[in-house]
Amino acid sequence: MSRALFRSSLPELGSFSAARLRPTAAVLPFSWTTTTTRSFNSTAPIVEPVSSNNAPNPTASQVRPLALKKSHPAAPPSPIADSVKNLLPFLAAQPGHYITVHIHGFPYLVQEGDQIRLPFRMPGVLPGDVLRLNRASVIGSRDYTMKGSPHIDERVFECRATVLGVESEPLRIKIKKKRRQRRKRQAKSKHRYTILRVSELNIKNLEEAAAE
Amino acid sequence: MSFFRITLHRSSIGLPERTRGVLNALGLRRRGRTVFHPVSPQFAGMIFKVKELVRVEEVEKALTKQELKASRTPDPGFYVEKARTRVDMGAGRQT
Repeated sequence: MSRALFRSSLPELGSFSAARLRPTAAVLPFSWTTTTTRSFNSTAPIVEPVSSNNAPNPTASQVRPLALKKSHPAAPPSPIADSVKNLLPFLAAQPGHYITVHIHGFPYLVQEGDQIRLPFRMPGVLPGDVLRLNRASVIGSRDYTMKGSPHIDERVFECRATVLGVESEPLRIKIKKKRRQRRKRQAKSKHRYTILRVSELNIKNLEEAAAE
Repeated sequence: MSFFRITLHRSSIGLPERTRGVLNALGLRRRGRTVFHPVSPQFAGMIFKVKELVRVEEVEKALTKQELKASRTPDPGFYVEKARTRVDMGAGRQT
């Protein structure tokens, strides 16, 4: 729409809205005395102003997941794509699934019951902790594969891993020597690796996924 | 206010002193470095001097160093769902 056209329609709009507003403005003072339900219903519902300081928390009754922090608020839920809705039951119906989970951006192709040795020691976890793995790029079974672009919606699957412990490599000794000198220095390193076991891998059915 | 997002894509090794000076003035000291500068004729001229070396985008907001790093860091992909009870073994040890 061109600007000139829009302008030309403006005065008409203005007068129209003013004409519509006037009766309601006149009705408002009357509604207190006459108390006709019709006029009362036709006006906008009166909403008590709620101060932002003590607004009730709408999610106070819900369980707060550990991953949800104020600094990283969860995005509003997006609808699950139709292709996923239609084809996910075929994948879910088959037994034995594999999944490619991404931990710190690195992919690990695992099945339920598999043990992973991460190439690093995960800080802040102890043996016995249960981790929820929520980033995956591929889920598959014998006949079907679901690929994410680049990641699969985390509502579709449920993958948990248990921390088994920390493993360490044998001590590595690297001899450092400068030229034309007999002095040798040893650089030692012994890396530690966290061991996880994939304790659970479920593909959710759609009712569960939609409920969340 | 919009910004130029400038990334040094080609190294300045072997280039004239004047070109290196321009890169230094832009704050591009090594390859892959990204800087933000407000859109103005001065910065446009500097970018024009080194246009063969940089990749430029116009963005609405300048990112801080932390935000830039966060945009490059992949998501951890896990969270601790059920933590084992932590036992405090003495005051000196942190669990």
